Amino acid sequence: MGVRPPFGRYIRGVWGRRSFIWNLASSRAYVRNQGSYLGQAWTVLRPILDAATMIIIFGFIFHSSAPGIQNRAAFILIGSFTYTFFQQIVMAGIGSISSDLQLIRSHQFPRAVVPLSTVMTETVLFGPILIAMVILVLFTGLLPGMGGFETPHWSWLLLPVAAALLAIFSAGGALFFARIGARTPDVANVVPFLLSLGRFASGATFSIAGLTGQHSWFRPLLLHQPVQIFLELFRSVFGNEPHIPMSSALWLQAGAWAVGFFALGFIFFWGAEETYGRD
Amino acid sequence: MTDDIDYEIDAEDLPKRVERKELGSPSVIVDDVHITYRVFGARRGGTTQAKTSLINRAISAGRPDTGPITEVKAVRGVSFIAHHGESVGILGTNGSGKSTLLRAIAGLLPPTKGRVFVSAEPALLGVNAALLPRLTGERNITVGGLALGLNAREVRERTPAVADFAELGDFLYLPMSSYSSGMGSRLRFAISTMQTPDILMIDEALSTGDASFRKKSTERIEQIRDGAGTVFFVSHSLGAVRAMCTRALWIEKGQLVADGDVDEVCDAYHDFVQNRTNASAGANLNR
Repeated sequence: MGVRPPFGRYIRGVWGRRSFIWNLASSRAYVRNQGSYLGQAWTVLRPILDAATMIIIFGFIFHSSAPGIQNRAAFILIGSFTYTFFQQIVMAGIGSISSDLQLIRSHQFPRAVVPLSTVMTETVLFGPILIAMVILVLFTGLLPGMGGFETPHWSWLLLPVAAALLAIFSAGGALFFARIGARTPDVANVVPFLLSLGRFASGATFSIAGLTGQHSWFRPLLLHQPVQIFLELFRSVFGNEPHIPMSSALWLQAGAWAVGFFALGFIFFWGAEETYGRD
Repeated sequence: MTDDIDYEIDAEDLPKRVERKELGSPSVIVDDVHITYRVFGARRGGTTQAKTSLINRAISAGRPDTGPITEVKAVRGVSFIAHHGESVGILGTNGSGKSTLLRAIAGLLPPTKGRVFVSAEPALLGVNAALLPRLTGERNITVGGLALGLNAREVRERTPAVADFAELGDFLYLPMSSYSSGMGSRLRFAISTMQTPDILMIDEALSTGDASFRKKSTERIEQIRDGAGTVFFVSHSLGAVRAMCTRALWIEKGQLVADGDVDEVCDAYHDFVQNRTNASAGANLNR
């Protein structure tokens, strides 16, 4: 007892608990935002307010934030919503062990269930956000100087697939920080800064390709980092910018990052399995 | 965190003494287990260890009356072997490390040092199972059952029986935050007795609810106990331990004081408690 199970058995254990993960996740999603007048509506309203702020600053005040982009509002909206999804999952992962300590101390189960269920909660809550994003993108074109009403495109049907890939990728980050956060709660104070740095380093609100110097050393770094790739993927799926075409290379890269990052995070989390629940 | 309450158990509620079964193969081996809690930002009032490292002093430089991390040694070097067919009572004063030891055996609290070997996955039957207060009782039964390791179909099959046992009535469909404390603990008890494990641990579970429910829960534990191979039982009631156990461990300040036949250990413990004058002896960290 109290020793780490072998990796194969651990994976089977987690898989065997999938209905537990799902039930825990959906219960949490239901409980979230209870106790305010607008209730679940806040799930959608909060990212809309976030995106609106960014559109005002980067869409209207800084006109040149995205050279070559016709609909800056849609560009920023998609970037902001998508990055927020990633950010929410990672932040939920950090506190997952300590917020479910009571559960961990009363029952014996593979601990990866806990961070995975928080990831699932965020993913479930992203459903309505995704729908809101699609509706809002349709209307962003009507804002002054954004190029007119957007027409829906067949590729929009791929949005849930892109969201699932991003959820898997982010789950890797959540598992990674869940292990660190369980032992050192202090990281919960540091990671928000990293994540807001990441928001800009991923070009959620402006175009990295358009704004960074052609020969600067960090340009390739920023263009090929995984979160930027996911934002590009979402924008390409919307297909409203000729500068950001959808390509199989983009899908392959995103898929590889998702699987690789998740596997690394999972192995890292499993590495300290026997210590979760200890103070 | 734990909301267990000590009730004196009425003598007439107690079951008859258990008959002693033949001892089988070892089911639980506890080998020199130590458990140390870390407490963040505890007040430094002479209770913590005198030894502070340079790094600890550096961390706490800006806050004169809080130590950064206080270590509480809850269990210090306990070893024993339990066999199939044994009922083991664990005795000790408040804060002596009984519940912590039980959690370590159940694999819920990893030991800082030492090893625990078990022949099957143990189940801790507590009155403090984790439940989500904003969800309905029904939903909590589902989540709790899945946490116990049942699959979705088994949980669906057993939900009506659990709801029935907890006697919630229409409150089953209201959030748990609207329950009285008795209802909450009845539900917790009902959920944690959903399955019959091979190694069963009971932590003050008899002190749940009013007299009629207590009788019912005692019967339920009897039922589970017949199916289980080894039973661990933590209680402050010597009467209950004598009635339900064949062997007793006495733990004081995280160390094993006595281990043997239930009557001998209970007598020794009884004398100790009667003669004790300082009730906070168990709360002294330095000794």
